[in-house]
Amino acid sequence: MGVSHWLNTKNSAVDLKEIKAIIDLMKKNSLAEFELEEKDFKIKLKRPIGMVSSPAGTMVEDPELTAFAPLSRQLASSAAPVSAASNGDAEIKSPMIGTFYRAPSPDAAPYAEVGVEVGPDTVVCIIEAMKVMNEIKAERRGIITAVVAENTKPVEFGQPLFRIRPI
Amino acid sequence: MHTDVLILRALRAGGVNGASGALLAKELGVSRAAVWNRIEELRRFGYDIEASPHAGYVLRASPDVLHGEDLLARLGPVRSIGRDIRVFAETTSTNDVVEKLARDGVAEGIVVFAESQTKGRGRLGRTWLSPAGQGLWCSVLLRPRLAPQAATQLTVITAVAVARAIEKHTGLRPGIKWPNDIVFGDRKAAGILLELGAELDHIRHVILGIGLDVNLRSADLPEELRDVVTSLSEQAGEPIDRPGLATALIQELDTVYTRFLAGDFHELSDEWMRRCVTLGRRVTLHVGDRIVAGRAEALDDEGALLLRTEHGRLERVVGGDVILEK
Repeated sequence: MGVSHWLNTKNSAVDLKEIKAIIDLMKKNSLAEFELEEKDFKIKLKRPIGMVSSPAGTMVEDPELTAFAPLSRQLASSAAPVSAASNGDAEIKSPMIGTFYRAPSPDAAPYAEVGVEVGPDTVVCIIEAMKVMNEIKAERRGIITAVVAENTKPVEFGQPLFRIRPI
Repeated sequence: MHTDVLILRALRAGGVNGASGALLAKELGVSRAAVWNRIEELRRFGYDIEASPHAGYVLRASPDVLHGEDLLARLGPVRSIGRDIRVFAETTSTNDVVEKLARDGVAEGIVVFAESQTKGRGRLGRTWLSPAGQGLWCSVLLRPRLAPQAATQLTVITAVAVARAIEKHTGLRPGIKWPNDIVFGDRKAAGILLELGAELDHIRHVILGIGLDVNLRSADLPEELRDVVTSLSEQAGEPIDRPGLATALIQELDTVYTRFLAGDFHELSDEWMRRCVTLGRRVTLHVGDRIVAGRAEALDDEGALLLRTEHGRLERVVGGDVILEK
């Protein structure tokens, strides 16, 4: 059973608020990973503990600083929307199960190519599920470094679609 | 509220007994001459309004045009959808208009109609034929407090509302082809496209785009569409009154949306399943360059199609084009 399945059913074991509460706890206690498995579902959360947030909210990679930094300085921003790839790039993830489309129509040019600079409101792709077209925005300024998902193929909730290098 | 809404509401309530000009003037707080001016304006719009010395004004007939104030007058009170209605003679796509309204922070429930669309939208850059005065081309702005993943449920409830409105207004019995095409046999009479504006964890807005082929004649269609497209008038064998159908559509949308927000999704999805004509059929699914053939076996709780492939595997389908085999 996929993450999205229980997320929106009324009798689900965990809802988004609870996940946020878990993330807050992880932040508070400096936990890098959290895993929970029950009969019907499994959840695994990871925080990019190797990164700290600067006062302006932009991500800076500095493992040494992290190691000695006071807890309060660590990752003040939400852990949910973007997670770090191993090289310090962030990921744009799918907010829903659906089909990943890189272009508005089969003959059109893709919304976002590798190497292009995008802003928070730049549309990078469409996720379609049951005739709901969801234009996904980059949500941050950066350079697209990789297209991770495959055009016209299914994607899961939370699956990385693009890697983006913040600028 | 706009004067025309109140005048038309009083005329409709009065029926053959009419509405007195003096009373109208008093209720509206304007002069009798001002009421007469509005009546003249409505006549120019095509309303057949008789003025009799005894009964006052009597509405004999309404034109088959979409008039925002008249739709509001016909609707009466609504909970959310239809609180405000705007009608354009022509626009690119009513979804474009509503998207702009959404960006401007307009509250949910506004409905935008266009008599014709120059760039009516289908899925993935396809166009939706929207000739002037022959259909209902409209979009609705919603702002439900839901996670983006739940937006697919709106696909389900919108299809139910459109099917109900057609049934109520015309007596026809349309089917739903997964996920939300309104069909008669294998031919489509209405399409629904939802456009979502969302953050990762919540919906900012949803635009319900609805295209209903009401009085389209098969002869007016391009050759390649005649086998796959139909219209309500073709099915009914007579022209359909569009303002009446538009009113029924808004009322049904308002009803199902209110029920949905109150937590009655499963009841609505049960109705959707009963109306679904895809189940049990052999279908071909096209997603990008992938083609899967199989039998449409069931719908799951969220409305996804469960397809039994030729290799016996059960595949959960949420997107792509489903083509019913003959």
